[in-house]
Amino acid sequence: MKFYKDHYDVFVVGGALAGLSSALMLADKGMDVLVLEQHNLPGGVATSFVRGGVELEATLHEMMSIGARDNRLKVGKFFDDMGVDIDWLPVPEAYHASLPGLEVTLHPGLERFSREVDAAVPGTYEKVLKLLKLCDTVYNSVNILSVTPMSKPKMLLKHEQFVKTAGYSAQEVIDTFDLPQKAVDLLAPYWIYVGNRLSDLPFTVWAVLMADYIGYGSYVPRKFSHEMSLKIAERAEEMGVQIEYRQRVEKILVKDGKAYGVRTAHGEEIHSDYVICSAYPNKVYTSMIEPASEVPAGAIKAVNGRKLSVTAFSVTMLLDKTAEELGIKDYNVFYGTTMDTDHIYENYKGLGPYEYLTCICLNHANPGCSPEGTCVYSITVLPLADGWKTVTMDNYDETRRRVAGEMIDTMSKYLGTNLRDHILEIVIETPMTVNRYTGAWNGCIYGYSHSQSDNIVARLQTAEAEKFIRGLEFAGAHCISGDGMGPQVTNGRKAAKNILDDLKAKEAAKK
Amino acid sequence: MKVKGFLKDVGGASRVTKARLEAFANASPVPVTVDPIHEVAYAMHPGKIELVVTDIRPANSTCKTVRFQAADGRRLPLFRAGQFMVLDFQIGGSLISRPYSISSAPLHTIGSDSYVEITVRSGDGKLLISDYVYNELKVGDRLTGMIGCGEFFYEPLRDAYHVVALAGGVGITPFASMAGEIAAGRLDMDLTVIYGSLNSHDITMGEELKKLEGEHVRFVHVISGDDPDWQGERGFITAELIKKYSHEDTTYFVCGPQAMYLHLYKEFDKLDLPKRRVRFELFGPVRDISIYEGYPAEKKDETYTLTVVRGIHEDVIPAKASESLAVALERAGIRIETGCRSGECGFCRTKLLSGDVFVSPVSDGRRAADKDFGYYHACATYPLSDCKIKIPIQ
Repeated sequence: MKFYKDHYDVFVVGGALAGLSSALMLADKGMDVLVLEQHNLPGGVATSFVRGGVELEATLHEMMSIGARDNRLKVGKFFDDMGVDIDWLPVPEAYHASLPGLEVTLHPGLERFSREVDAAVPGTYEKVLKLLKLCDTVYNSVNILSVTPMSKPKMLLKHEQFVKTAGYSAQEVIDTFDLPQKAVDLLAPYWIYVGNRLSDLPFTVWAVLMADYIGYGSYVPRKFSHEMSLKIAERAEEMGVQIEYRQRVEKILVKDGKAYGVRTAHGEEIHSDYVICSAYPNKVYTSMIEPASEVPAGAIKAVNGRKLSVTAFSVTMLLDKTAEELGIKDYNVFYGTTMDTDHIYENYKGLGPYEYLTCICLNHANPGCSPEGTCVYSITVLPLADGWKTVTMDNYDETRRRVAGEMIDTMSKYLGTNLRDHILEIVIETPMTVNRYTGAWNGCIYGYSHSQSDNIVARLQTAEAEKFIRGLEFAGAHCISGDGMGPQVTNGRKAAKNILDDLKAKEAAKK
Repeated sequence: MKVKGFLKDVGGASRVTKARLEAFANASPVPVTVDPIHEVAYAMHPGKIELVVTDIRPANSTCKTVRFQAADGRRLPLFRAGQFMVLDFQIGGSLISRPYSISSAPLHTIGSDSYVEITVRSGDGKLLISDYVYNELKVGDRLTGMIGCGEFFYEPLRDAYHVVALAGGVGITPFASMAGEIAAGRLDMDLTVIYGSLNSHDITMGEELKKLEGEHVRFVHVISGDDPDWQGERGFITAELIKKYSHEDTTYFVCGPQAMYLHLYKEFDKLDLPKRRVRFELFGPVRDISIYEGYPAEKKDETYTLTVVRGIHEDVIPAKASESLAVALERAGIRIETGCRSGECGFCRTKLLSGDVFVSPVSDGRRAADKDFGYYHACATYPLSDCKIKIPIQ
């Protein structure tokens, strides 16, 4: 029986957001694309599951880079342009910060956000707004420079703020504003969406994050992130992409430094001109390239020279009372025993009790997401894999239950309601869960740590030199734009663009 | 904007690029091939594994317990007491999979003699797979299976310490597994099993259950058949009986035949318990879809043409209106991955490309967006016309 064509233009390993976005873009340019996904659903972690007859969101907190219908940002615009019509619901607030001495709810809009910080820490309005405006300027520069190459002098002329802050950590730039610590604490909570402490996090990354989320707000799909993943997949199929589920790719076939196809776990060999791979380079270069002799030494050093970012641990609960009845007032609460991100980062290397929790009550953005009289509440931490690497099959269950219990009890105390008395369904997701469903190396959901030795500006500069195998592109959180669902669309598009550029160059060379 | 001075500021990009290249240059050239997170994830969820039957013994006059070990001798996944396993069978030209609650305790997967057991009732010549397992399966047979599926297990974060389990027939199996774990001190809960049987002399797993009784495990047998010497509880499991064995805060687990579920739904209504305290194991495949509301009864004897798309390959097979799409595929020898056979787990998620179908109203566990795009769970979906579906390549 023959399930595949003899040849495809592009082969995509992994049908999550990045892989599917690249497939969409390539199909739009008339290319013949095959996507193989090991799970029986599209989307990777952008998915949902059904428990006790109720559909629950698996991972999404809030999507960035969407924008309102009449003012789309780049991801929202890409979906619109590709005919992927997602029913976006706005998230009602930026976040509620519950930190020592601070209980403050903040909303999107640079001025509004600054006013709200000022209300909590008087006399900071001007400085906070100036800092956020700097973020916005850098954000606009990044959006231009990521698609338009530019000479260094011209860059300095036109994108001065970006250039001047590119070499610094978020902390170094924030420090120049001389803000009271409490105001800095109110600005810090989103650090967790990029997974590194402010002292090592590139300012550029933090600026993009703040400008996007606080400038334009965030969104969630009405029918969970599965709606987004499925609509992209369905649109891709409509455009001629072949997507096959439950197909695990074991090997990427390489000859003379060029990828030419893959082999699946079922043993089928499928050929293509290009391969886009969602698996981590760590896995690809250590076990997927065939023959292994095609892996250059530089590739192993490049993988070993980078640091994996965070993984995820979360507890999702369907509760038997409404959010109002349980006193859950906010969509998103960042709860910390401290806002010292260096301290939290150390804390995240262990196995709890974790000191910085992100809590989402989806009903506040999507009231119809759970049955009448119930609500959904999730508590998430993004630990490093370090601690979880010490867990074995024999103590896995008790460890995850103990950690989940600590998180539930912390938030119960905060809410003044014992959540344990209201649980209809509970689902605990761990780094192992992430690995099981997506194959992500070490269960990492954020790719490589955005850091001063792995800075996004440097990533862009050295990208060409880090192409170790011709015809092989990567698409996932381990790529230039890093973690987050919005950035996965950007990462996928970048992989597709690299292939289209390569084809163009080949065409030009022929002439 | 000035951070540390003009020259330092404009040199930032070069500085971080240099730092990156240095990190690469100083990195180890030795490949790291082991992912410890994956090792644990894979040990627990290795997917389908090759199993060998190493023991078969009677569990009473109509049931047998079958023991499985890994064909390659490896340790089996540490499942949670109450979970099921899925076994794949090849019978004639059919490729069939079925879920079975694991009757042995998880502790038996630990150690060199790692095993799991299921306890099955004879099909009395009426049920293909049950009869096959009961009559044909023998020690040494090999088949593939997936261990540790489903959500029917005790979760102390959610459940009360005191659990009253209601079991009928082979529905005792998940509770036998829990009892084994409690008796060994590996599960901190208090379990009272109210167990309905026909006759006190022929209780399924009766002898083994006795050995598990102790401080935190009790079996209350309720005998419904003609059994003159029986001194204990009699009749059917009623609200009063349930109440009698309950504590102030109790979680109820129910596993048994569908007739028992339909009876107990009413008894539980009388008790007016919080919803979170009552947990039924999945309903299982419905026996007769035509009795459900909305099913066009006039179609139940029809046979349609089902076009099955896998990749660029297509097959055309017959599909009876009275049987699920999963059964039609299995009969035709086309492998479809199924799990719970109750429409819940979604292993058999299938895209309907054309045609009309009926979804079992008691087994519709689909995602909202899946419903919008014509995805169905093949185990709980019935053809009402010629249909075309796309399933994963196996």
